[in-house]
Amino acid sequence: MFDYVSGNRFEMTDAPEENGEQPKRRRFLKACMAVIGGFISMAIGVPLIGFAISPALKKASQKWVDVGIADLLKGSRYKKVNYTFQAKEGWIQIHQKRSIYVTDEGNGNFVVFSRVCTHLGCLVRWDEKKQQFLCPCHGGVFDPAGNVVAGPPPRPLEKLPVKVEDGVLYVKEA
Amino acid sequence: MKPKNAAFWRERFPLREVKNHLKKPLPKHINWLFSLGGMAFFLLMLQAVTGAFLAFYYSPSPDHAYDSVTYISQEVSFGGFVRGLHHWGASAMVIVVFLHLLRVVIYGSYKAPREVTWMVGVFLLLVMLGFGFTGYLLPWDQRAYWATVVGVKIVGTVPFVGDFVGKILRGGEGVGAVTLTRFYALHTIWLPWLAFGLVGVHLFFVRYYGSSGLPQNTPEEMQAGKPFYPDQLFEDALAIWVLFILLAAVARFVPVPLEGRADPTDASYAPRPEWYFLFLFQLLKYFAGPLEVIGTFVIPTLALLLLLFLPFLDQRKRAPLRKRPIALTLTSLSVLLIVLLTILGGRSPKLETSSEKAATADFDTLNPAEQAEQSKTPTQEETPAETGVFDFDLKENH
Repeated sequence: MFDYVSGNRFEMTDAPEENGEQPKRRRFLKACMAVIGGFISMAIGVPLIGFAISPALKKASQKWVDVGIADLLKGSRYKKVNYTFQAKEGWIQIHQKRSIYVTDEGNGNFVVFSRVCTHLGCLVRWDEKKQQFLCPCHGGVFDPAGNVVAGPPPRPLEKLPVKVEDGVLYVKEA
Repeated sequence: MKPKNAAFWRERFPLREVKNHLKKPLPKHINWLFSLGGMAFFLLMLQAVTGAFLAFYYSPSPDHAYDSVTYISQEVSFGGFVRGLHHWGASAMVIVVFLHLLRVVIYGSYKAPREVTWMVGVFLLLVMLGFGFTGYLLPWDQRAYWATVVGVKIVGTVPFVGDFVGKILRGGEGVGAVTLTRFYALHTIWLPWLAFGLVGVHLFFVRYYGSSGLPQNTPEEMQAGKPFYPDQLFEDALAIWVLFILLAAVARFVPVPLEGRADPTDASYAPRPEWYFLFLFQLLKYFAGPLEVIGTFVIPTLALLLLLFLPFLDQRKRAPLRKRPIALTLTSLSVLLIVLLTILGGRSPKLETSSEKAATADFDTLNPAEQAEQSKTPTQEETPAETGVFDFDLKENH
């Protein structure tokens, strides 16, 4: 090795340990380093983890969303309806776009199916000829009541809560 | 100041010692398969450099991501080529890493004392798949959006913690602005640091234990081959050269696919993952209902653990592959299975419902102002299924 102060070469040797005090002292130094390191890690780590996962801790609020005039959906059978609503996504206000299937059961009763496949979230599509909902991803098939007929989905299609108020159709949006 | 002599500079830049380090002889009988690791390293550097340049123009926001990628492809000089290198480079990486892994399995190179080298390699494989998964959300096109929706849902099926982990990944309930910045940070900061660190450890162990050579080498032959530098490095360079020419040709002549802008309500899109995740996509189809978790979690996890702990499951001495019939059979079956699933996944027909063939009328409650704004975006015209849509504002008559 090279001593950059004196310019002389020297050999690395272990630091002298003349008396029994030194190992104890060094153990103490090591413990101090562990404490300092541990404290700094915790003081930074806990806030950082909270920082990273905070969006996951927010409770999703369900609210009624205005889909449109109920009269215009009179007599519809598995009618695909797209609608938008204002939502906050992180720091931006967006027009959240959603898509549902609306069926009029008469007497102002509507059945609304979410299009989200209960398998892995692709959008199912209604096939008029087969009278089934088909998923374009992994081959899930649902009957007109939303029950699984074939493929991997573990649950029936989700029926969204629905109400008609003052002639306007609302669905409850997660 | 006196001019310094050569000894002065040698002391300041001890390159000779590095050089001596590189001249260590390799085992005898090393073939070009031993260049696959170097090729993977080259591709990692290529991805790092092209990615760093792409970041000059890319904007990780749902409002701008798609347009910034279009801008890179169409307006920036050499933009298509740079993006092509990065995109096709990712595919090349998957192929090269897969072959590298096969080489290590076939020659039994994962065996003692190189178990940790192997395990670090398996972690690098995971990091690579993480790069792929986080990378293809970034263009914010249809494939990006739906692959991420499905991919994160797969995580969501993990028992107990899946739902929460999925939410952490997405940064909320749905794939959106928060997801995009997360994936961008993971793709451009977290994973690269992790990858470089792991590659450093991987290479340290490769150097420390030396090349594994062929299993039939005698202990004498293990020390009697050509030096790493310049002989082996030259062969690596040749292999890298061929790889680069191929990749550059693909990047130059095959346009990188960019589908329509991400649309959570699209009418006719059939989500498909990138080709190197097709085997997983296909696998998911076989497990219905409560068995779903077998395809999404149990099989992938078991396969991963098997891979990770392979050196400890197979502790017999190294031998040529023909003397390892069980290893040969299992390896061949695994490769066949992955290839078969990939082909089946790639050939699975895209859904077209009878109603779509007849172009149904849809209701759409966008108000006119929003529709005008939407129609300005190019994708609205690009998606053919939307053309038959009967846009109607139900609230207008209220």
